[in-house]
Amino acid sequence: MADNKFAAYICSGCGIGDKLDVGTLEKIAKKEGKIQDVKTHPFLCSAEGVQLINDDIEKEGVTHVCIAACSRRAKTEAFHFPTAVMSRANLREGVLWVIAEGEAHDEVRQEMADDYVRMACAELKKMKLPDGNPNHGGNKRILVVGGGMSGMTSALEAAEAGYEVVIVEKQAQLGGWGAKLWKRVPFKAPYADPQNTGVAELVSLVSSHPRITVYLGSHLAETAGAPGRFNIKIAQESGAVSEEAVGAIVQATGFTSYDIAKLPELGGGKANVTDQAGLEALAQSANGAAIKRADGKEIKSVVFLQCAGQRDETGAHLPYCSGHCCATSIKQAMYFKDNNPDINTVVMYQDLRVPGMGEDFYRSAQNKGVTFTKGRATGVESTGATCTVNFRDLILDEDTSVSADLVVLATGQVPSAGVDLEAWNPVVMAADNGSEDAKQKKAEMQKISILNLNYRQGPDMPQFKYGFADSHFICFPYETRRTGIYAAGPVRRPMDMLQATEDATGAALKAIQAVENASLGRAAHPRSGDLSFPTARLEGCTQCKRCTVECPFGAIDEDERRFPKFNEERCRRCGTCMGACPVRVISFENYSVDTVGAQIKSVDMPDEFSEKPRILILACENDAYPALDMAGLSRTVYSAFVRIIPVRCLGSVNTIWITDALNAGYDGVMMMGCKKGDDYQCHFVKGSELAHYRMSKIGDTLSQLGLEPERVVTHEVAITDNARVAQYINDYVAQINEIGMSPMKGFV
Amino acid sequence: MTDSIATSQTILVVGGGISGMTAALEAAECGKQVMLIERNATLGGRTSLLYRYFPKMCHPTCGLEINLRRLKGNRNVRVMTMTQVVSVIGSRGDYTVTLKVAPRYVNDHCTGCGDCAKAVEAEIDNPYEYGLAKTKAAYLPHAMAYPQRYVIDASIINTPDGEKALAACKVGAVDLAMQEETIVVKVGTVVWATGWKPYDAAKIQPYGYDRYANVITSLEFERLADPKGPTGGKLLRPSDGREAKNIAFIQCAGSRDENHLRHCSRICCMASLKQTQYVREAYGDAGKSTVYYIDLRTIDRLEDFYVKVQKDTTVSFVKSKVAKIVEDKDANPVLHGVDTEGYHRYATAHDLVVLAVGMEPEANGIKLPDDMLLDSSGFIEGSRDEGMFGAGAATSPLDVNRSVQSATAAALRAIKVVYKTATVEG
Amino acid sequence: MSNQNQQAVARYQNNFLKEVEDRVEDGDWVKMCMQCGVCAGSCPLGDAWEHTPQKIFMMIRAGKREEVLKSDAMWMCTSCYNCIVRCPRKLPITHIMHGLANYAHRMNLAPQRQPTRVIAKIFWDNLVKTGRVNELKFSLAMYFKDGFSQGIKNAMAMQSAGLGLMKAKRLNPFEIFGGHKCKDSSGIKKMIAKAREIEDRKKGYTPL
Repeated sequence: MADNKFAAYICSGCGIGDKLDVGTLEKIAKKEGKIQDVKTHPFLCSAEGVQLINDDIEKEGVTHVCIAACSRRAKTEAFHFPTAVMSRANLREGVLWVIAEGEAHDEVRQEMADDYVRMACAELKKMKLPDGNPNHGGNKRILVVGGGMSGMTSALEAAEAGYEVVIVEKQAQLGGWGAKLWKRVPFKAPYADPQNTGVAELVSLVSSHPRITVYLGSHLAETAGAPGRFNIKIAQESGAVSEEAVGAIVQATGFTSYDIAKLPELGGGKANVTDQAGLEALAQSANGAAIKRADGKEIKSVVFLQCAGQRDETGAHLPYCSGHCCATSIKQAMYFKDNNPDINTVVMYQDLRVPGMGEDFYRSAQNKGVTFTKGRATGVESTGATCTVNFRDLILDEDTSVSADLVVLATGQVPSAGVDLEAWNPVVMAADNGSEDAKQKKAEMQKISILNLNYRQGPDMPQFKYGFADSHFICFPYETRRTGIYAAGPVRRPMDMLQATEDATGAALKAIQAVENASLGRAAHPRSGDLSFPTARLEGCTQCKRCTVECPFGAIDEDERRFPKFNEERCRRCGTCMGACPVRVISFENYSVDTVGAQIKSVDMPDEFSEKPRILILACENDAYPALDMAGLSRTVYSAFVRIIPVRCLGSVNTIWITDALNAGYDGVMMMGCKKGDDYQCHFVKGSELAHYRMSKIGDTLSQLGLEPERVVTHEVAITDNARVAQYINDYVAQINEIGMSPMKGFV
Repeated sequence: MTDSIATSQTILVVGGGISGMTAALEAAECGKQVMLIERNATLGGRTSLLYRYFPKMCHPTCGLEINLRRLKGNRNVRVMTMTQVVSVIGSRGDYTVTLKVAPRYVNDHCTGCGDCAKAVEAEIDNPYEYGLAKTKAAYLPHAMAYPQRYVIDASIINTPDGEKALAACKVGAVDLAMQEETIVVKVGTVVWATGWKPYDAAKIQPYGYDRYANVITSLEFERLADPKGPTGGKLLRPSDGREAKNIAFIQCAGSRDENHLRHCSRICCMASLKQTQYVREAYGDAGKSTVYYIDLRTIDRLEDFYVKVQKDTTVSFVKSKVAKIVEDKDANPVLHGVDTEGYHRYATAHDLVVLAVGMEPEANGIKLPDDMLLDSSGFIEGSRDEGMFGAGAATSPLDVNRSVQSATAAALRAIKVVYKTATVEG
Repeated sequence: MSNQNQQAVARYQNNFLKEVEDRVEDGDWVKMCMQCGVCAGSCPLGDAWEHTPQKIFMMIRAGKREEVLKSDAMWMCTSCYNCIVRCPRKLPITHIMHGLANYAHRMNLAPQRQPTRVIAKIFWDNLVKTGRVNELKFSLAMYFKDGFSQGIKNAMAMQSAGLGLMKAKRLNPFEIFGGHKCKDSSGIKKMIAKAREIEDRKKGYTPL
């Protein structure tokens, strides 16, 4: 490998040259930053400026580029040098645009810019060019767990895009829940009538597809490996075990219907009270003729009770709404009406939830004579011959009743997501400590596991609320906490068949993306394309296991010697492990304890009589750093005493940085990260929470140093908080001034 | 000219909102070549004009930041803003698309420094504030705009203001002679992520949106609540700038109505519930929100949010489609109607009324190829030749999460087309 | 007439909705209501209604036959058409209200003293006699609808208006002796009888 050659480029455009002494910056880069080649350009992001840098890289052998210009978020496309390492000093958004105008501020403004150049040079010195994970697997086959509508859709879509697929289905045939339906809710215009499910056609397409392998009556006995190199063991009913190698996984394991027996108050378990699945069975056996009751009697009247055991606030049943049931009941009422308009069908609802084009389906049902009653059922009685539904009519504001030959309860979807890791982990811990009870319980839990991952953090995907295998559910709905494993269909969120097939198609794309990324040794979302990956100096490792426990993505296992074993393809490059490590042995090529530590130490520290405090800000690059940038964009002024370092996630903040900063004489440290908790906004799920937890323990360190607890603060910052970040900064500077300068300054 | 960058292996994504960006990025991150075109001067679409998302109450720009970072780092996507489709001819795997690029009058030298805006005096209605505020005629659409490049409004071309902008720019980014351009590209497939537009509230005459200052749309309310918006995040009513503390939210303003939009727009119930929390955020227990509704459609886990809002003592619910609004002498909108649970007639004055306006497919205003299949509301179902697809709210009234799902699915459908073309060709 | 009612009850048993769909003008629209209540809120006379249209529709679905048909609610409709214009499901509410009133009348369940019903009945009886409205007789019938002494009081109260109309030749006192007739009044009667027969057949009434 050629020698490293460092170069710094200072842009004097956008007013930088007018308000800052560029000559000083050059000198600092050269003398203090020890950069061999320092150039200033009046318009660095211009084609000519970029050419200058490219020429230096190509002809002069420059390997490390420091750009002192605008924010790293600006002109990213122009400053794109894939073969060089790059650091950026943010002189425009970070200094020029946020520091008060006027001569009175010239000195502090210049000092801030000087420090940012020092920091960028120091960081650059510690950075290496990431060249991708060399141990990546290249398997591009996709495993689909579950052969229902969602699973089959995922499989077929991936296969049609040229990828090989393996389906593992628990039942002896494909089709899943969809195969049990007589018809499905319409999914395209004119949304008027029940449609054929299309399940049989899909089964035949999937079964005959040359790129799809189907295992029926099978389950996953083990899933080992990582994206691009999963090895799975498939246990078949015969007892045979097959092995397959795949690159990514779609989990489309669907749902079960909420147990009607748990709803005795609504007649669950009584004669002629059934659930929607029960009615589908009756409709299937009628095969287009009049639907008859289980006792063979002709049906002249049916009542559908919506939200049976759903939207329940008592805690006894499902708290959520399954979303599909209003349309499903409408469809089922049409089974009767289409056959014989004289059959009386009543749908009893509280809110009729048929969003989008479902409104057309609702109208169509009304047109067919289905009666809709806004009411709340209080009880269902069954004599065996007939049923009576007692209810509160919410429009007529009275208690009344209606009798029917059959009552259908619209019960909800219960996800089939396998083992709940929250319950799993304590059991495993107890089992590891020798509890026989726990060992048995662990074995039982393993039986309900779907993926049987041999990951350190448990055999299935972490569940979100109510047992659904979901994660981020707004902007990036597929980002689960197990890289390369994507949930699709009702296992992820209650949904109807149309949603499930859309979802399955999307999940298939993400699986394809995962295998493509893995085959290039790159990260998956949200740092997609990132070629850096964590490495550990195991000789320094104390086997404390924090990294293996805290990794939000289950990327780190333990090897036979109980050292952490990194599975880079599972890693999302957030650096949480790096932040967790008490002995600081984990690092990325271009982001490490040293790259940040060196920046912290490079800052010029005024003495305690200068009245110039120095405050270190570690800002999450996802939300806080953009907010700080936008403070610049809106020219919101803040104190020139802060020095800001972007971090990948607050989870990656190692407490050594805080200790180093305080030892070096910084007067305060602010951390800015994303919102944590139930409505967390951390892109790495747990990073922000872990950082808060770690910082809650920093009090001891502070008191050992004889420092006030206020010297370290943490803020939750949203990306829109441009005004608020400035306020936080200014308030904190005022607070520090009140507390006084750090007594540590003299010790440097 | 035929653009050599695009080939039958290229995926064209029309529309740079969250759906279009998602479709483009998801395909590009599978290694495919993508062209992403956007009619406006910036990517981001309608969601970038929202203050918060339901149900997490997080900020749309947070996801936008990640998507922009993905975009900046991905060389497979070529972005063109201020660009529209003029025509599409051809068939699955082999389309010839004519694009029209409107002049921005600012080239890619722009560093986003803002000197042009300082120099220009003329102001225009800010198109990114629904006209609730003015902006300079040389402007950056918003803080998260991509590209981070100013736009000069055509109204100041050939005026002294235009010359001022030109003179102010130190990097030669202002180009007043820029002309509309026509570009022809060959692509294998087209994803239409053309999004939605709010139903014209003035058409619902009894609500008086065109007559009463204090009757506004849900989208305008988003701008009022946004600290970056025209009121700095204060819920000020337009008539007198007084703080609106007692706010009515009218559901189905245009939706579920055969006189207006036949379909249910799906998002509005959750959007209004979310907005009641803006009122709480602004005033705590001193605020008051009333939601007038027919059915509250907070499906799946979103029900949690409804339950949470129901427990909020500042929020009340009236099951009623409001019949009409009249203004009292203090410009307070007075709502008339009947609560259908029981039979209670009301005439209630509020400080401000927010109409939860329905979603109409934006493509209603765009000339789509004849081959496209639309449903009765004009949402895209796909093309007859199965070579073009809809994504996101262009296909159905969808919330963000479902739009992203739909766009991710559309990306795979597009990849299938180029895969098949490649296998046939190769 | 009550015979007519008994027959309807026997025929439709408890399915009042079906009865309304079959026999009430535009009654087949009732099922399309989605209970939004905008009709009720839009009605300028809404305050005066015992039951709002949307509630009447719900009562019909709930089989509250007597309660609906005996109600005076639908008699309050003044045909302003606000509800029709606003209904998101395009129900012809005004027509349904009139249809229900008419049906209640046919079933002899409508409130006997309901003023709208009384005036409609007087008007109709007046009209079908000659094929023209005899305004004098119509006015007098209205004056005396609540008894002789009230009739005299009404006539006295309206005296100056009556004289004014006479002066302006808008009211001819000799109309009391029969007044204008249509050329072919028996033809008109036949026509009305035929129309009624058709309607009865269509709606399944027993012929009168």
